[in-house]
Parts: sequence; structure tokens; C-alpha cells
Amino acid sequence: MLRFILRRMVFSVGVLLVVSAVIFLLTHLVPGSPAIIVLGADASSEQVREFERRYGLDRPLAVQYLAWLRDIVLHGDFGRSYISGQPISGEVARTFPVTLEIVILAFLFCVSVSLPLGIVSALYQGRLVDHVARIFAVIGVSVPGFWLGLMLIVYGAVHLRLFPPGGFIPWSAGLGPHLQSVVLPALALGVYYTAIISRMTRSSMIEVAAQDYIRTARAMGLSRRRVLQYALKNALIPVVSVSAMSVGYMFGWAIIIEQVFNIAGLSRALLSAIFQRDYYTVQAVVLVITTVFITANVAADVVYRLLDPKIRGVAA
Amino acid sequence: MSAVAGAPAPTVVAGRPGIAARLASLLRQVLASRLGLVGALIVLAVVLAAWLAPVISPYDPVAVDLELKLQPPSLAHLMGTDQAGRDILSRALWGARVSLLVGVIAVAIGLVGGIVLGTLAGFYAGTLLEQAIMRTVDALFSIPLLVWAIAVVGIVGVGPITLGPLSIPNEGKVILLVGFLYVPAIARVTYSVVLAESRADYVRARRVQGANDLEIMATEILRNCLSPLIVQATLFIAIGIIVEASLSFVGLGVQPPKPSWGSMLADARGYVFSGEWWLPVFPGLFISFTVIGFNLLGDALRDVLDPRKREAGLVV
Repeated sequence: MLRFILRRMVFSVGVLLVVSAVIFLLTHLVPGSPAIIVLGADASSEQVREFERRYGLDRPLAVQYLAWLRDIVLHGDFGRSYISGQPISGEVARTFPVTLEIVILAFLFCVSVSLPLGIVSALYQGRLVDHVARIFAVIGVSVPGFWLGLMLIVYGAVHLRLFPPGGFIPWSAGLGPHLQSVVLPALALGVYYTAIISRMTRSSMIEVAAQDYIRTARAMGLSRRRVLQYALKNALIPVVSVSAMSVGYMFGWAIIIEQVFNIAGLSRALLSAIFQRDYYTVQAVVLVITTVFITANVAADVVYRLLDPKIRGVAA
Repeated sequence: MSAVAGAPAPTVVAGRPGIAARLASLLRQVLASRLGLVGALIVLAVVLAAWLAPVISPYDPVAVDLELKLQPPSLAHLMGTDQAGRDILSRALWGARVSLLVGVIAVAIGLVGGIVLGTLAGFYAGTLLEQAIMRTVDALFSIPLLVWAIAVVGIVGVGPITLGPLSIPNEGKVILLVGFLYVPAIARVTYSVVLAESRADYVRARRVQGANDLEIMATEILRNCLSPLIVQATLFIAIGIIVEASLSFVGLGVQPPKPSWGSMLADARGYVFSGEWWLPVFPGLFISFTVIGFNLLGDALRDVLDPRKREAGLVV
């Protein structure tokens, strides 16, 4: 098990290294020097040279990359944004918790709704509950999250006036207002994965219920409760792993959802950096989200192996 | 023709029915299920809407008339008009074109890439080639491709790319990136089928008959991948439509004034609070119904083609 985790981590670090090189090359090979973006097209060549010297852009690309990587790994320093002049790490530290909170809330909503829904749906297969749950699941995977967000604003914020129409209200303004400001975004973000996970739970339960050991348990006269316990333990293995992965995916969709709700989170920092052509911030945020995503994936794999004795002993 | 009219119909001698016959039987089985029929009808309606948009649109989708701006739904404008006085129904019908275009071509790209990689890796199992391909696929699975698509479009820019006399609009980049999103998933499915089939007796028999690797891959093995890939392709079209709409919504997809559902919703964002509900509601309904159609069709296909009824894994 330890060896598996170790191998998985070495692989992940490798992927991160490749990925960081790719995003670095992408932002540095795109036509148009940052100097021109900042100083304007009519800047003199001396001004441009001075700018490039100040930001170290006159060095060879490989040297720039290694220096960038060294600062990130050793000091957690992503450099300065040439648009705002501020350190990018500060921007990341400010916006990351906002996105993380919304993703966690979405995840909690997702798990607390999808697991009971999927289990009940499987237990009462073909009955009314099951039909309703399946219709919800099809709609849930089909309605785009950003449009759901818009509709939640139209109905919940503008019509019912129960929620603020957008923006992030910090904890310091009180628990109630704070929660009100994050409920709708979390909902819009979580519904897609709620639908996916409830479907997975249902089909996994049905598959397990058809296994021989469940039939044996029944035949032995075990109580319905005990049999359900056995079935659940096995049926939930793939579900837990997909749930962990969905956390990573939600960080991606948060880009779109934060835009809908006008929330200044990490993901929106990415979009505004894109539109300001602040490429250093873009590469930093992409790297951070990729790291979170990879971590969620490793966690999913490890949990899967811990839970499933069938593959626990098998080498990666 | 009359000369052969009396001749008996040619019969298929081989035990396996042809592709056309198999598809016809597949279609019959899908349409026999209620939800599959609904899905097929929705998909048919959207395809017709996209194809006939120039004929059935009541108005020019890009004609600006500020005197008619923000008109609520009426007999003249069934879904109202937007902030520039453009007819929302006409824009939505034309928007179906771009959505389907992106959805279908992206899946085609993903299929080509995924099938080539998956087949090579599965066929040459145990070689360095398999290791190289499958580790790359693993790596691609462990990074958030949606975020990367957003960053790549953002860094490269949303302007058209000119190739000689050809000017490819931003949709071209979106199609390519969404297609790339599917490659790892399709490669994995193909790989697992090919891995199982390439050791089967009938493949060995073909080899004894003198068939070379390419022939066997193209004829015998791919035939077995058809079922799972048809299911995935249909479900992936649904995902592609959502991704395109989301990218267009944040300004990184289809560029205005070209009508697309996502960019219509981006325009509508400004009118969410002021009561012009028809701006955000109708384009979103178009997206949702289209995606529901493809999802229902995909589910029905899976019920027929995949007896284990596996749930598709996460790709976004």
C-alpha cells in the first residue's frame, strides 16, 4: 500500500513538472511581449529592454523556467503580476479559500443528496421514487450549471429575495449573510455531480445486490438491515472514489459559476487575468488548480485501494 | 431493374449481419424504449432546427433594430427580443448549428485520437509503446482538461486563425480542445476492449490466414469496440454542447455577433435583475432540451448495447 502511494506520488510530481513546463512555454511563446502589453505598442525599444530586464525576460527561456520553478517550490512565490505589480501569491492566497469553500459546500450538498437518493432508488427499483430520482438525474446531468445559476438568481434572489443576487459576503459580515451568499453558487456547482453520483450509487447497488454473496446472506436468514449493510459496504467503493474525483472537477467548473455569481474566487482570478492578458497570473492559477485536481485524484485512488480488498495487494 | 426483379434477394452468407443491418436493429430497439424514443425525437428536432434554420427562422438572427429592443414574448416575436432588438427564437435556431457542429466534430476528433491510441496500446500490450501511450493517458486523466482548455483559448486569444485564404473562427479552437478532452476516456475504453479481444482465438485464426496487424485491427478488433464507443460518443456530444455553451458564456467560445446559446446567455446576464426573464430563460431551455435529448438517447443505447449498464466515468 505504501509503495502504491509512493509510486502514485512520484508519477503525480512528474505530471506536475511536465504540466508546469507546458504552461510556461505556452505563456512565454505566445506572440507579443508583456512589455508591449503593459507599455503599449508605441513604447521605445529602450523602455521595452528596461522592462524585460526588470522582469528577467531577457534571460534564456530555460533559465527563466528554472528560476520560476525554484521560487514556487522553495518559497511558494509565483512572481509578480506585470499588470498590477502585486505578488501573485497574495492574489492566490486571497482567492483560493473562497473557491475552496464553495467547492466544499457543493461537495457536501452533493454527497448528502446523491447517496440517499441512489440507495433508495436502487432499493425501490421500478417504483415511483426510482422514476422520480432517475428523472432528476437525467435533468441534473443535462442542465448546464451556469444556466442553473442564472435561474437561481432570477428566482431565489430577484423574485423571492431570499438570497443576495451575487457577490461573496465574507465571514466577518456574519454567518447568516455569508452562508446566504454561498448557497446558490454551491447548488449550481453541485447539481451535475449530485446527478452523476446518485446514478452511480444506484447502478452500483443494483450490481452488488445481484452478487452471490448477497444471495447467500439472504439465504442464511440475515436481517434485511444486515444484508443492506454488506451490500452498501461494497457498492459504495466506486462511489467514494468518483466523489473524491468530483472535487477536482468542481474546481474547474467553479471558473464558470463564479463568473455567474460575480464571486471573486480563484477561478475568476483566472478569467480576469486571461482578459487582462496577465499571463503570469494565468500560469500560476492553472498550476494551482491542476495541483488540487491531481491531489483529489490521488486521494480517490488511495481510498479506492484502501476500501477494496480485492485489489489492495496488487501492485500498481 | 426488371431483369433482376424475379431473382431471390441476396442473402448474407456469413453468420454476422452487416453493419447496416445491425444499426437498423439497434435503432429499432432504442425506439422501442419510451425514453429512448423521446431522446431520439428531441435530437431529430434539434438537427432539423439547425439544418433548416435559414428557412424556418422568422427573422434575421443578427439584424439589429433598437426600436424593438427588449420586447417581451408576443405573437410577432414568440420568445421576445434581446437588448439589440434581435429575435431570440431566430437566434436560438441558428445557435443550434454551432452547438451541434462543435458537439459532433469534437466527438469525431476524440474518437479518431482515442481509437488510434487505444488500439495501438491494446494491440501491442507488453511493449514500450503500450507503456508510453497508457501512461500519457493516465497523465491526461489526472489534469483538469476543462481548465486547460479555458487557459489555452485565453492565452492563444479568441481571434480567428488565418491559414492562407481560410479564416477559421474561434469555434475551431474550441472544437479541437473539446475533442482533446475526450481522447483519454475513449482511448481507455478502446484499450480495454482491444486488450481482451486481441488474444481471442478468432484473431489468431486471422493471423494464421495471413492477415497483417493493420488488417486485424481495422476489421476484427474495432468491430468489438463499436458498441461501447457508440454509447460514449452520444453522451460526449451532450457534454461537448455544455462545454461549448459554458466557454461562449464567459466570452472564450463563439464570438459575437454570431448567434450561440452560450453567448446569448452572456448577453442576458445584464438583464437578470431587471425583469426581462425571457432573455436568460429561452436560450437555456434550448441547451437543456438538446442535452437531455442526447443523454436519453445515450442511456437507451447503453441499455441495448451494454448488458452490464456501466456508468460512464467523469470527463469534466
